[in-house]
Amino acid sequence: MRTLFSSFGNMVAAFRAINRRYAKPAIEMTPFVKVCLVALRLYLFVLVGLLVYKFVITVTG
Amino acid sequence: MVNDVELTAKPSMGVLPTLFYQFRKAAKVLRMFAVIAGPGIIVMVADNDAGGITTYTVTGAKYGNHLLWFLILLGPVAYYVQEMTVRLGAVTKRGHAEAIFHAFGPFWGWFSLVDLVITDWLTMITEFIGMTAAMSIFGVPAWLTVIGCWIAMGAMILSGRYWTWEKVALVFCVGNLVYIPAAFLVQPDVHDILRNSLVPNLPPGGFTNELFFLLMANIGTTIAPWMLFFQQSSVVDKGLQEKDIRFGKVDTAIGSFLTVLVAMFLVIVSAKLLLGQPIESAAEAATRIMPTNRWVGTLIAIGLFDAGFLGAICISLASSWAFGEVFGWAHSLNAKIKEAPWFYAYYFFTLVLAGTVVLIPGAPLVLITLFVQVIATTLLPAALVFLILLLNDKKTMGKYVNTPWQNFANVGIVLVIIVLSTLYGVSTLFPKLLG
Repeated sequence: MRTLFSSFGNMVAAFRAINRRYAKPAIEMTPFVKVCLVALRLYLFVLVGLLVYKFVITVTG
Repeated sequence: MVNDVELTAKPSMGVLPTLFYQFRKAAKVLRMFAVIAGPGIIVMVADNDAGGITTYTVTGAKYGNHLLWFLILLGPVAYYVQEMTVRLGAVTKRGHAEAIFHAFGPFWGWFSLVDLVITDWLTMITEFIGMTAAMSIFGVPAWLTVIGCWIAMGAMILSGRYWTWEKVALVFCVGNLVYIPAAFLVQPDVHDILRNSLVPNLPPGGFTNELFFLLMANIGTTIAPWMLFFQQSSVVDKGLQEKDIRFGKVDTAIGSFLTVLVAMFLVIVSAKLLLGQPIESAAEAATRIMPTNRWVGTLIAIGLFDAGFLGAICISLASSWAFGEVFGWAHSLNAKIKEAPWFYAYYFFTLVLAGTVVLIPGAPLVLITLFVQVIATTLLPAALVFLILLLNDKKTMGKYVNTPWQNFANVGIVLVIIVLSTLYGVSTLFPKLLG
């Protein structure tokens, strides 16, 4: 059990280290880049929404 | 990686010495190209994976040679997109996953990595479906095919040398060309092929939803998310430098030519032997052809197995490289297994997991095949947009930043791919949406 917790702890630490390492985006955040990233978020939001909707109507019949 | 050509003929030399120098110069350039070539050819030929082979077979059976011109158009599309990964890899020395983390931060990094892992794993299942279906035509049981593939895939990386892996992969690329002799065996109508290759036209019946769906499927098989990650990581692992970019571009151009060539010859075979028949997979096509044309049926089955094998090893590597880059593991094919245990463990883990799913009785394989397209739709636009943004970042790319013409071509291509792949993904989810 202790080994399991230790492995989980190591994994969380690895994820945190990655998040810290890449915390500051290196690309120059021009207005064009910002617009592209916002558009991408909206696109994915809609697409994931459609996926969830499909899942719900499939499950509920 | 390789010294530039320094051989130049002196102006005072005669014709023969000048010719000799030109010959030596050309020979040296060819030798250098042979050293650098690989990632572009492999990724492009592997693009004709089991799913791609099925798409081309269905295209030929449904619309004959009428869409050959469309396949030719997809060659430059694939080239322009993949060429960007060569420049990005050679300049930044980072794989695509690491480049996204570095440039856009953890949110987009994790999104891309998780999405890539899911997409790759599902796609690998489709590769194993293709391989087992192909070998079942020869009476080989699925379990034997899967175990045999695991052993062969493991043996490929045991040497601990990128070069060995690449050369074996190139042999499988040659195997993908079996559709060319198959097309000669069926003696197709050359005039019809030339007319449909050179003159854009619509099949009888005009532009229908079914045609639109198939066109989108062809685009979907031409540009897949894993290809971007694979080629960029491959360029980095091979150690290509900025001065090697021009050879990397030629490598990619040859690859895109080969991928279109294979697709066209398969469509020609399918159009000649299966036109009008309701074909749903390449394995079904091979089975139907076998009784009347044993050689062609055998070649289609061999090609399908080869495509699945090549696709599986490349896709598995794309994920392993991505994980290694982000988690900081040793992640090179030049490392021995004990030097990069996590990298190889992940490579085997994904292959074993994908192969095992195919062996589970009653596994929803058709659903998985459809789901691949939908999940890929969530990753492809993001990966392509990141690629364009990175290639326009002067700080990252320096003099290798996109030129206005490259931006015009690449942005146009990326926008079209995003719109069509989205429509494809959505129409897979809601088949009645487009009528």
